[in-house]
Amino acid sequence: MSDFDASERAGRRTHPLTGLVQGILWAAAAFVAIVGSMLGRGDGNSVTVIMWTVLGAAVGGLAIGLLAGYLSWYFTRFVIDGTELRITRGILTKSSRRIPYERIQSVDVAEPFIARIVGLAELRIDMAGGDESRTTLRFLPLPEVRELRRVLLARAHGVEVEAEPDDDARSLITRVPPDRIIVGTLLSLDFLGAIVMLVASIVIAFVSRQVLFAIGGILPFGGAVAQIIAKRVLEQWNFTLSRGERGLRIERGLLSRTSQTIPYDRVQGIAVKEPFVWRRLGWQRLEVDVAGYAAQSDDSGHNSTSTLLPITDPALAEAVIAELVPARTERLTIDRPTRRSRLFAPVGWRFRWIEARAGAVVSQTGWIERTTCLVPHRKTQSVELRQGPLQRWRGVATVEVHTPPGPVDVDGRHLDATEARRFWNEQLTRI
Amino acid sequence: MADAAEPAGLDALFDPMAGEWTRVSPALATLRRLTGALPLAVVAIACGVTAALLPAWQWLPALGAVILAGCAVWAWRWAETNRRSWGYAENAEDLLITSGVWFRRLVAVPYGRMQFVDVQAGPLHRLFGVATVTLHTASTETAATIPGVPADEAHRLRNRLTELGETRGAGV
Repeated sequence: MSDFDASERAGRRTHPLTGLVQGILWAAAAFVAIVGSMLGRGDGNSVTVIMWTVLGAAVGGLAIGLLAGYLSWYFTRFVIDGTELRITRGILTKSSRRIPYERIQSVDVAEPFIARIVGLAELRIDMAGGDESRTTLRFLPLPEVRELRRVLLARAHGVEVEAEPDDDARSLITRVPPDRIIVGTLLSLDFLGAIVMLVASIVIAFVSRQVLFAIGGILPFGGAVAQIIAKRVLEQWNFTLSRGERGLRIERGLLSRTSQTIPYDRVQGIAVKEPFVWRRLGWQRLEVDVAGYAAQSDDSGHNSTSTLLPITDPALAEAVIAELVPARTERLTIDRPTRRSRLFAPVGWRFRWIEARAGAVVSQTGWIERTTCLVPHRKTQSVELRQGPLQRWRGVATVEVHTPPGPVDVDGRHLDATEARRFWNEQLTRI
Repeated sequence: MADAAEPAGLDALFDPMAGEWTRVSPALATLRRLTGALPLAVVAIACGVTAALLPAWQWLPALGAVILAGCAVWAWRWAETNRRSWGYAENAEDLLITSGVWFRRLVAVPYGRMQFVDVQAGPLHRLFGVATVTLHTASTETAATIPGVPADEAHRLRNRLTELGETRGAGV
């Protein structure tokens, strides 16, 4: 208990408006959930009943949200000292989290839309490993959050705060124009599919004159369209990638703004994704593996924090990759699956390969969406060779290079067994 | 197509680069038989007794007894074959772990990539004097777990790996 008491005395609170902002955020979530479950049932409620439910959900959600927001703000305190950042929170069950500076992987600044209106921002700290590797501190005035990030990054690198380079001293790498992001989203297969299904369900609803069809089709597909727009357009709006002393900086978002820093030496691997239509236009998406980011991916597996460049041309992608992974690119070996493996991937086996380069291992897979992954040898965590009964029958084996959880996945599937073992042996000498 | 596979090459596919595998304790098989096969056998016998006592519908518990007995025999034999498949080898720069009979696996963890090493032993494990050693890297895919390591050896391994990890550690 003494630990809690001490930090409660010494610690300071976040901005007083936190309770309000947090409360509105929670209230909005509660409101959506209540209304969603009401409409989802859809058992012929009259318009007035629905109106009253919506109103009730709004008022009730807001009241509960505000109270919870205020309480959580009142009981949250944080301390920054010479060795660690400590955050104490909780009303009945107290929890105190200590974040040793040397374990910090990355520090991000996020401004959720409502917080942004009142000039507040939250601090997100990622540490390596575990499900609860992210700590958020919300909310503080934006300049203060920026200053905190500077302090934490300096401490994480073991330098004095005064020696930390100024935040503004950065050089712009690229700014992705919003129209390109919109066109890119319009030309992606899942968006096109969702649109087609949405239009189809509207047409069916009109032809059959059944409201049930309309709700059954429009809600899920409309939701999918809205989600894709929110994830790929609103969140990636004004995507700016710049270069600083400590790492790459990503700033993005139309309503909610996010500012991420990816330290150069914390990049565990890079994935280049080329969706079907994009490939014909020479467009790519770059994603990055940073330890601690993966726990934040949402249900659909799409993780916007791991996006390094939402849409780009190959030349720029090449330049950014070269900057992050030292440019020792001469090819040592290349392995492809044998013809015997076509049982496992009748079409895909022709499109897979794994390549060992002097500084990294690269693999490619996929024929609809092509994914090329790259992992520097010094970031390889472990190397695995495996073989199931069917693979043994076909005389093939899979070799896999392990990286922290994230979009990057380097493996050579169904290679000739002896070749796979040779690759495994050689990879061990390289890392 | 069977001739495409080289039997000689395949046997050596999961061998360590040098030296021999250190196999895990035979107590692991006993432990697994005790926790896996034995309960199945007991339930099978219970089903058999029920079948003998029941006036009608005897075939139902009898069928259950046969299936469960089959499972028990399989689990009994699996415990030993699986136990034999586990092995680890301490190389100069990495620890190798192999496992599996049908789904064979060989994983190499460089000492410098280890974040920490866990040694776990439940009450039954302690009774049999074995422990489970788990190596953690920044990747969850590594899944480097060695069950059934004799307790003394487990602690020696943990200390040795921690020491090697500290001298070679490169951080994440």
